[in-house]
Formats: sequence, C-alpha cells, structure tokens
Amino acid sequence: MKNKLTGVAVALALVLAATGCGLGGGAQASILDKETLTIGVKPDQPGLGLRNANGGYEGFDIDVAAYVARKLGFTDFRFVPAPSAQRENLLRQHRVDLIFATYSITPERKTKVDFAGPYYVAHQDTLVRAAETGIDNVRDLRGRSLCQVTGSNSWRRVSEERKVAVRLVETASYSECLDKLKDGSVDAVSTDDLILAGFAGTEDRSIKIVNAPFSDERYGVGIAKGDVDGCEAVNKAITEMYQDGTAKKLLEKWFGPTGLNLTLTVPQFEGCG
Amino acid sequence: MSTPVTAPPAGAAPAPTPAGPGATPAVPPAAPPPAGRPRRRRTVPSRIRLLAGVGVAAVALLFTATALTIGNARDGLQVIGHDAGPQVVATADLYFALSDMDAQVANVLLIGREVGLGKGRQEALNRYDQRRAEASRAVLQAAELAIGDGTEQMTVRSVLDGLGRYERLAAQAILLDEQAGHPAGPPPQRVIDLYRQATDLMRLDLLPKAYNLTLDSGTIVRKTYEEESSAVTTGRGLVIVAGFGTILVLVGLQVYLARRFRRVTNPALVAATVAVAVLTVSAASLLTTEAAELRMANDDGFTSVLALSRARAIGNTMHGDQSRYLLDPERADTYEQVYLDKSQSVLYTPGGNLEKYYAGVDKAVGGYRDRPDFLGFLGAEAANITLPGQRAAVREVLGDYRDFQFQDRAMRLDVQRDQVRSAIALRMGPLAGAFENYDKELVGLIDLHKDAFDQAIRDGDDALSGWDLILPGAAVLAVLLILAGVAPRLSEYR
Repeated sequence: MKNKLTGVAVALALVLAATGCGLGGGAQASILDKETLTIGVKPDQPGLGLRNANGGYEGFDIDVAAYVARKLGFTDFRFVPAPSAQRENLLRQHRVDLIFATYSITPERKTKVDFAGPYYVAHQDTLVRAAETGIDNVRDLRGRSLCQVTGSNSWRRVSEERKVAVRLVETASYSECLDKLKDGSVDAVSTDDLILAGFAGTEDRSIKIVNAPFSDERYGVGIAKGDVDGCEAVNKAITEMYQDGTAKKLLEKWFGPTGLNLTLTVPQFEGCG
Repeated sequence: MSTPVTAPPAGAAPAPTPAGPGATPAVPPAAPPPAGRPRRRRTVPSRIRLLAGVGVAAVALLFTATALTIGNARDGLQVIGHDAGPQVVATADLYFALSDMDAQVANVLLIGREVGLGKGRQEALNRYDQRRAEASRAVLQAAELAIGDGTEQMTVRSVLDGLGRYERLAAQAILLDEQAGHPAGPPPQRVIDLYRQATDLMRLDLLPKAYNLTLDSGTIVRKTYEEESSAVTTGRGLVIVAGFGTILVLVGLQVYLARRFRRVTNPALVAATVAVAVLTVSAASLLTTEAAELRMANDDGFTSVLALSRARAIGNTMHGDQSRYLLDPERADTYEQVYLDKSQSVLYTPGGNLEKYYAGVDKAVGGYRDRPDFLGFLGAEAANITLPGQRAAVREVLGDYRDFQFQDRAMRLDVQRDQVRSAIALRMGPLAGAFENYDKELVGLIDLHKDAFDQAIRDGDDALSGWDLILPGAAVLAVLLILAGVAPRLSEYR
C-alpha cells in the first residue's frame, strides 16, 4: 500500500515537473530554433541573385536575405542555388530554410508553402532603347517587335493576355534580348521590372524602362508551411528594413541607374499561416 | 501536518494497537527510505497522520492545478475575447476606411459637376468624411495595440503622417475639380496629376501599412491562443492525475483505518473521496469546455472574421479601382491589372486576364457544392464550413460576387466600345448596386463568425463563473472531511 502511495506521489511530482516545463510548448518547429540558416537563391539573375567568379552570391535578393538573416539573429547562414522548378520541394523537404529568389507569391504555391513578405512588389514593364519615343505603355507595342525568351511566360502577357499584336522574335535568354534591343533587331523587352533593371544595371544608358507597369509580381520569402513564428519574424525584419532606410539603399544600389520608378515603402504582406 | 517520517524497516514489529489480538498487522514493506536518514519506528497515530497529511497535500495539489489552469483559461478568454481580439478586428476596419476614402475621392472627381449619377457627388463627399473619422478611430486602436512594439509604433506613426498628407492632396484635387466644373468622366490633367499623387500615397504606402498592422496585431491573439490553450490542455491532464492520486490516497487511508480499527467505512472519508471525485470530474469537464470554447473563438470566430474583413477591405479597393480605371485612361491598364490581382486574392481561379477570370468565376461559383475548386479568401472560407447557416451565407456571397464581376465586365465592354458615359452610369448605378449587395452579404457572413466568436467567449466566461467559490469551497470541504475522518481515530490514542 505505501509502495503504491509513494508511487502515486512520485508520479504526481513527475507530471508536475514535466508539465511545469512544457506549458505553452508544443508549437511546430521553427527556423528560429536553428543554429544555422540555409537560404535558397537564384544563381543566374543579374542584379537579384548571381553567383560570382569567387563562388559567392551577389544581388538585391542576396543583400535582403542577409539583412533578414542577421535580424533574425543568425551570424551563420549560407546560400544555395534554388532552381525555380524545385523551390517548393526544397522547402517541404527542409533542405533550405528560406527562399529569396524572385519567388512570386501565387495562390497555387501557397497551398504547398508559406510566404513571408513580399519584400518587394515588382511589375512587368517594358525596356526600350533610350532614343525610343513612341512607346509609353504596353499598348504602344502594337506592330513592334518584342523579344520572346524561350521558356519565359512574360511575352504571353503582352501578346495573349493583353492581345497586343506584336511581332515576336525568339531568343534563348534575356541577355541575348538586350543585345538585340541595342542593335535594333527588337524594339522592346518585357518582363519583371527588377529583372529588366538587373540586366540593364551594368549596361550603358542606351536603354530605358518605360515605367508603365502592368502586373504585380509579389516577391515573397518562401518558408516551410506552418512555421508561423518564423514567417512573422521575417515580416518584422522586412518592416524594419524599410523603416531604417536599408531597403531604399539596396534598391538604389542595384536598380537605381536604370531610371526605374522604385517603390520605397513597405509592401502589403501576404500574412502568415 | 506531521513531519515526514521514514517508513519502518521491513518486517519490523508493529506497535501495539487497539485493534486487539488477532489483528494481523497488514503493513507491507514501504519504499526504501532515503539513504543517510536514520530509520525510526513508527506508531499507528503517526501513520494515520502521515496518510491524512498526504491526503491533504494531494487535495492542495489538486486545488493548485485547477486554480492555475482556470487562470490560463481566464487569461485566454480575456485577451482573445475582451482586449486584443476586438481591437485587432477594429484595426482591420482601418484598411477598409482608408481604401473607401480613396474610392470616394475618385468618385467625386469622376462625377464632376453632373447630378443624377448614382448617389451623387455630395453623398460621395459625405462618405469620405465619415470614413476619415472611422480611420482616425481605428488608428487610435492600432496605436494602443502597438504599445511595447517599437516597429509597430513606427508604422502607426507613419500611417498618421501619411493620412495628413493624403487629406491635403485629396482636398486640393477636389477643390481644383470643383473649379473645373467638368462633365462626368476624366477630369482635367492637373486634377488627375494631383489625384495620382494622392492615390499612389494611399495604395502604395498607407494601405499596405494598415494591412500589415492588422497582421502584426493579430499575432498577439494567435500567440495568446496557442499558449493558453496548450496550457489548459496540459493543466487538465494535471488536474486528472492530481484528482486520481488524491482519491487513491483517500482510499488507502480508508483501507488502512478499516483494517486497523475494524470499521468497514469511515463516513467522513467516504464523503471526502466523493467530494474529490466530483471536483475532479467537474474541473476536467470545465477545462475541456474551456479548451473547446477557446478553440472555437479563435478558429471559427477570430481567424475567419479577420480573413473575411481583409477580403472585404480588398473588395472595396477593387470597387475603387473601377472608378480609377474610368478616371485616368492613361493608367487604365495598370488599374485593370491591379483589379484582376485583387480579384484573384479574393477568389482565385487561374487565368491571366479578366476575360478568363470572369469565365473562371462563373464556373467556380456555379460548380460549388461541398468542396470549392477555387482558392483565395472566399475559397478558404468555402472549404471550411463549421457553423450552422454558414454554407448558405457563403453561397449568397459567391452568387453576389459573380454578379459584381458580371457588371464589371459590362462596364469594361462599354469602355472598349468608347461609350464612356454609359460606363460611368453603369459604375455609379448597377455596378455600385451589385457591389453593395455583395458587400452586404459578406458583412452578414462576417457577422455569423462574429456571433460564433461572441458566443464562444460568453460560454467560456459563463462556464467559469462560480468557480471562484466552488473550487476553494470544495477543497476546504475535502480537507475538513479528511480531518473529521481521522480525528476520532487519533483521539483514541490520547
């Protein structure tokens, strides 16, 4: 009998101790609990995420990711390439913790992963030669030649969704488009303004952005589904990035010289969880 | 309480007892005593005291566990139901008020000197003033919620500053527009230029911040809910274990006394055991109720109210985008695009242009039975039917949303056919009507969730009422009964 009583008393004490420590716990694992952070980025997007000759990464996405990682308290973080088609899987299999890779928030993707941010809302816009005066918005492209990059959908927004009768000139890449634009074999290149500005950023002033945006591309921060704490912490870091002037500095550093109208205030967040 | 004494060594002869000869001392060997302590022989009264002491301690433990857990439930209900929850919902109205201010300015500029278009210029101006007052009130709520969070406070301040600038720009545009005295349609370029500054400030700067503020302050409620509801669940386990342990101790005491004193039952101890059992069962069931009410208030109430309020605010901005589309032909493409983007956040079906979207909405709404094949705010709502009457309300909202999109289509067709005047009449008349219907149904759906929220909070509060007396009363009663049960036995040794 006493044995039993002692047993019960011990059990009670154990339960008390266990629950005492565990109250309020039980939430899902968060990136905030990690020692190091693995961040997926683009390796081949000038101005946004580009692997340089030393094997390091540079660009707006990289700088924003580093700022956010530091704000979350990480000193130890590394970048890995996140190919567009694998981004959801990388997050779901926890092979990367966050993704900063011109990763547009879409309802379909939101069923698989969560998004912090957006940290910037890019817009589809048009790049033309600086001497061009006849193109003020996307409708002015009627009858002109537009670069069609194989594998990209941007041209569809002009010729199919907007039904603007353009002459499509097929090319393999956006950098080839830029060459064609400058030598006059195409009149315009159309895709996300930050991507255009990134390609143009290192170039001379012979090309300009029309500044007639016709889509919203909300660049979000991909994060595993359910990590609401991590997502909210990233949002807070992004808010602070705009409040302390870092966002303005970074946007002007990477895209300033192209004459692109940059939005320097914090974007509307998607909401976590 | 008696000082804790170590158990007698195994096999030690028991002290003489009043039970008389023939009664076998039925004390099994106890757990080994802690090392280093001297072993002492124990007398029957000291054993009774020990057992009674353990019983009283167990009751105290049960009392503490229940009181603490009830405290968690009460805190949860307080924050979610009475403090932060309603305030967060109020900040969601900030976005709505701001967005409607901008929409009303666009309407004023679009109507010009015309009379007889929809509700007219004066009504638009009145609504502008009303929304401005609502926005100020909501900013105050947001400021209160932001206390203690520097980042949020900075956002609130910048919304306030921006609101001042917006009002100045809007007032200038309205004044200039009045002086121009233009017919319905796009106003003179200098008015458009001023309005562009105003609407860019509103749409690109203030509205995102207002939206983020609601998201941020919603965090308080989410965290409180997670912490308190997990504490209530854990606490309930603790209460059950403590209650069960107490009952075991009391039964043990009962059995011991029965064997020692040859009395079958000890009525006071039986009563104490029953009191503890009743207390445990009712506390556990109370805490089950509280966990359920917290969950209901959060999931079916708060979260849905917040999400649908966002959908409503975005819908209002879409209605404003329709006016802006007519007001500023040069930017018409941009306003049409943002209209589509916002539509897709409210109800998502794939499709890159409005033509495809209208068809998608028609198909999605027409095909909705149990499981929606669309996403967005309305998709999430339609996929999560938990309240009576919710499905019917969702159907109404969806039907009205489809009508609203059909009217939008008609308006844009007029513009494409260069019948701007007819498009404006449509915008101010049938389209505005379709929007109001949709908005009214959406508010009805939000109210359904608000009622569920209020009901859950009320039920949670009601269930807790009286426990300030019940709990200490039951605990004191149990302790007194234990003492009453052992006192006569102990007195036999005096």
